[in-house]
Amino acid sequence: MILGRVIGEVWATQKHERLEGAKAMLVARLRRDGIRLVPTGEVVVALDNIGAQTGHIVTVSWGSGARAVFSSPDNRDVLADAAISRIVDGYSVDEAGAGIDVEHTE
Amino acid sequence: MILGRMIGTVWATRKNPNLARLKLAIVRPYFWYNPSHDVEHIVAVDQVGADLGQDVVVCLGQPGRWVAGTSAAPIEASVMAIVDRTEIAEESVQDEQVPFVIRDGFKPETLVWTHRGSQAEDRKA
Repeated sequence: MILGRVIGEVWATQKHERLEGAKAMLVARLRRDGIRLVPTGEVVVALDNIGAQTGHIVTVSWGSGARAVFSSPDNRDVLADAAISRIVDGYSVDEAGAGIDVEHTE
Repeated sequence: MILGRMIGTVWATRKNPNLARLKLAIVRPYFWYNPSHDVEHIVAVDQVGADLGQDVVVCLGQPGRWVAGTSAAPIEASVMAIVDRTEIAEESVQDEQVPFVIRDGFKPETLVWTHRGSQAEDRKA
C-alpha cells in the first residue's frame, strides 16, 4: 500500500463491464520529507468504494490487494490494479534523527 | 491504473493466438506511477472501443491481463474506460506539487479544474 492524497476524480460512462459500480479517483502519491508528506510526482487512478473526496489522505492498495478491496460477493469480478482501501484520519512520523514523533490529524 | 490519451492503433495479422480478435491501442500517459523505465507510450488492449484523441483509463499488470478472460494472454495493459470528465482540484497542483499534469502542455482533453469546497457548484455547471 502507499499513502496518497486525492487530487481529483475521473468520470466515465463507457467502461469495461468489470469496472462497473465504482468511482475512479486521481491520487497523488506521497513521500516523507522531514515531518511532512509531499507528493512524489506520481499520480494513480484508483477505484473508490468508501467515499474518499478531494483533499483526503488515503491508502491505495495495489495488484491483487486492490481486487480484495472489492471482494464482496456481488463485486468479486472487478478488474483494477489500484483501489483506495482507507481514508486516513491521522498519521505520525518520526523526524529523522531527532527521535521526535510528530502527529498530524486531517 | 493510469490516465492517458489514445494516440494511435496497432494492426497485426501474425500474432499470439491469445491476442486474436483483440484491438490494440497506443496510449500516451498523462502521468505515471512507479515506472520500471521511462516510456512515452504504452500499447494496450482495447475492448471498450476508444477513438483517437480520447482520454482513457488504462489498467496495468495482472488485472489488465484478465480482460481477455484468461491469465495466459500476453497482455500487460488494457483500456478499461473512456473518460468523460477529469476533475483536478486546482490547489492540488500549486506549489509544484503535481507539476507533471501540465507537462509540455500535454493535459487531459477532458480536464476541468475545480476548487475544494466549490465542487458542487462546478459539477452543476
